[in-house]
Amino acid sequence: SERRVAGQQQTGDCSRGRAEPRAPAAPAAAMATGSMLPARNQEAMAAAASGTYSYCSRPRALPTRRRYRGAPGHSEQEEEPVRYANLMYDRRVVRGNTYALHALPWTAQPDPLEIQRQREAHRKALARKRAKEQHQSRTPEPVEGRKHVDVQTELYLEELGDRIIEVDVECQTDAFLDRPPTPLFIPAKTGRDVATQIEEGELFDFDIEVKPMLEVLIGKIIEQALLEVMEEEELANLRAHQYAYEELRNAELAEVQRLEEQERRHREEKERRKNQQSQLLQKQKETSEKIAARAFAQRYLADLIPSVFSSLRDSGYFYDPVERDIEKEFIPWVMAEVDETLEKKILGRGVLDTLIREVVEKRLDAFDQPEASGQPAGQTEASHRGSVQIEALHQTETQEPEAE
Amino acid sequence: MAHARISAKLPPDIDPTKAAIAFGERALPKLNEELQSPELLTRQRALMALCDLVHDPENVYQAIQLGFLDNLKYLLLDHDSTVREKTTEVLYIMASHNVGRDGFIKYGVIPALSQLLNDPVDICRRNMHRAFEIMAELPRGAVGIVDSSLISSLVLKLKTELDEIQELILDTLSGCLCIEAFEALATGAVSILKEKLTHPSVAIRSKAARVLLGISVPLEGKNIVWDEEVIPVLVSLLEDSDPEVRANAAGALMNATITTQGKYAALSADAIPPLLKLVDDETSKVRLNAIKALTMLSEAPEGRKTLLNHVDLFRGQLNDSSEAVSRAAKIAIKVIEWKP
Repeated sequence: SERRVAGQQQTGDCSRGRAEPRAPAAPAAAMATGSMLPARNQEAMAAAASGTYSYCSRPRALPTRRRYRGAPGHSEQEEEPVRYANLMYDRRVVRGNTYALHALPWTAQPDPLEIQRQREAHRKALARKRAKEQHQSRTPEPVEGRKHVDVQTELYLEELGDRIIEVDVECQTDAFLDRPPTPLFIPAKTGRDVATQIEEGELFDFDIEVKPMLEVLIGKIIEQALLEVMEEEELANLRAHQYAYEELRNAELAEVQRLEEQERRHREEKERRKNQQSQLLQKQKETSEKIAARAFAQRYLADLIPSVFSSLRDSGYFYDPVERDIEKEFIPWVMAEVDETLEKKILGRGVLDTLIREVVEKRLDAFDQPEASGQPAGQTEASHRGSVQIEALHQTETQEPEAE
Repeated sequence: MAHARISAKLPPDIDPTKAAIAFGERALPKLNEELQSPELLTRQRALMALCDLVHDPENVYQAIQLGFLDNLKYLLLDHDSTVREKTTEVLYIMASHNVGRDGFIKYGVIPALSQLLNDPVDICRRNMHRAFEIMAELPRGAVGIVDSSLISSLVLKLKTELDEIQELILDTLSGCLCIEAFEALATGAVSILKEKLTHPSVAIRSKAARVLLGISVPLEGKNIVWDEEVIPVLVSLLEDSDPEVRANAAGALMNATITTQGKYAALSADAIPPLLKLVDDETSKVRLNAIKALTMLSEAPEGRKTLLNHVDLFRGQLNDSSEAVSRAAKIAIKVIEWKP
């Protein structure tokens, strides 16, 4: 409403010729009625025609605004003679000084700050006007020295005061009062009483009608019961099957195990017997080997004694005592005796030799001495030779008995 | 507010404890979503409805395709006992279908179920053991149970559980022992089973004997059975009133006497006369197992000596109705008359 007031104020000012600039190029102005379209088209054509300057909106002559609404349905048609308004009395034309124009921005939305400022200005203006009106006295001024006083002229005096008489009135609903139950509405009886009675068998025949329902019901019950019974029967059958099978299975299983056991036992028995048998054979073999060995040994050893004896005899362990005696004692004795004899002989010979030697030496000496000048050398040589020969003889003689 | 139900007085067959089942294709997907709801009541009602639907194998197949098993696995650990009960029931019903069993193995439901082994509520445990029992009847399921190392925990549970559940556990064990017996032996199953052999309940005795039968198949089992001196107890069970007990006891003896020491233990426990009596029993299983046990015993020389006098009994069984029995009789005669 403020805006509206401001708007009205504006128009009021415009009509009074105040400098309220409003751009003429505001085609969206609420004041303008009448068609804009032909004007626009004109503008377009004109814009195309003139090359120098192009208008945003071409200047055109504006038709008047209708003062009063036309009859409903009249607004679509255009009245024939278009009355053009007088430019001088057009509100939309800017009047006044143009050197201090309030330039409006081109945007459709005016600046909110501007709007606010304008609003404030308008409000102040209004207030000023109101105040002024109030202070405007409608009565003539009092005479000098007198004062106007407000007086009540009614019959009864009223107390005038700033304070408005106030009366407080309170109202409160009852606490938690239940709404009482509505009384049973029994409308008054109107109309006529009419009675009717349905006899048995008139509406329907129970026995016939109930059949399908009963069938369904009983059918369902029996179906369910059958299912359960079949289930149990199935289970019982299964169990019986299983029972018979189990019997057979247990019997067969036991049989299998028994046969296994038997097999095992027989096998073990066989193993044992085989072992026994093999041991027996082993023993037999050993005994035969022993016998063979014994026989062989016997035969081998049979030769043993004679051979032993012979070898012993060969190696001289058996001896003829006489022979041995002879050998052991006689012969050494004989030999010893022979040795002795020979030694004696030798000794004799030796002695003899010595004797001879001595003799010869003495003779030699005897020869030598007497013939010391004569033939010493020859004699000595001969004597030496003679002694040497004699020694050689002796040696050969001694050698000979030894060689014997 | 308008309800789908027509009158305030409900007709008698609408169950307020069940969720409303959507029509046709949407039934299971909608229940799947409801199972994941955070509200307890919704989950309970969805489970109740699911229990009914799952009796149909087509629904089971569809449910597994939709990935119900993951949700059910998650619900197994719920706080509320009703939810757990119903979940285990659903799983148990699913396990009774082949598709369900395959799905269990594929999605690894067995380890998830085994978390409930110590659940305080009986019904949960019972359903869980039922599911295990059904799984154990299938070889692949038994492999799954063995792989999840459940055997040792199951064996230990035998000591503490209720009778009903003990029966289920024994059945599960006998299924799993076909796959692998070592784990059970390591947990000392034989001694526990020995106690159960003298239990007052017939079913437990017969099932315990059946488990012993399975346990004494591998060699270690046989040795442990002989060690723990179970053979005399088994011999005493041969004269029990229930044919199942007799059959299973004879079967266990049959397996345990394969080893030499087992044979001699049985001979010293005087097993031959009761077994001879059983050769003429009505139940074919009893006859079969008795003949087999006697065959084992006749491998030993003392047994053979005793049985040579009773060969005619076996000849009588040569024309028995059951083919297995007649075959067994033939083998028995051959073994008894064998000369080394």
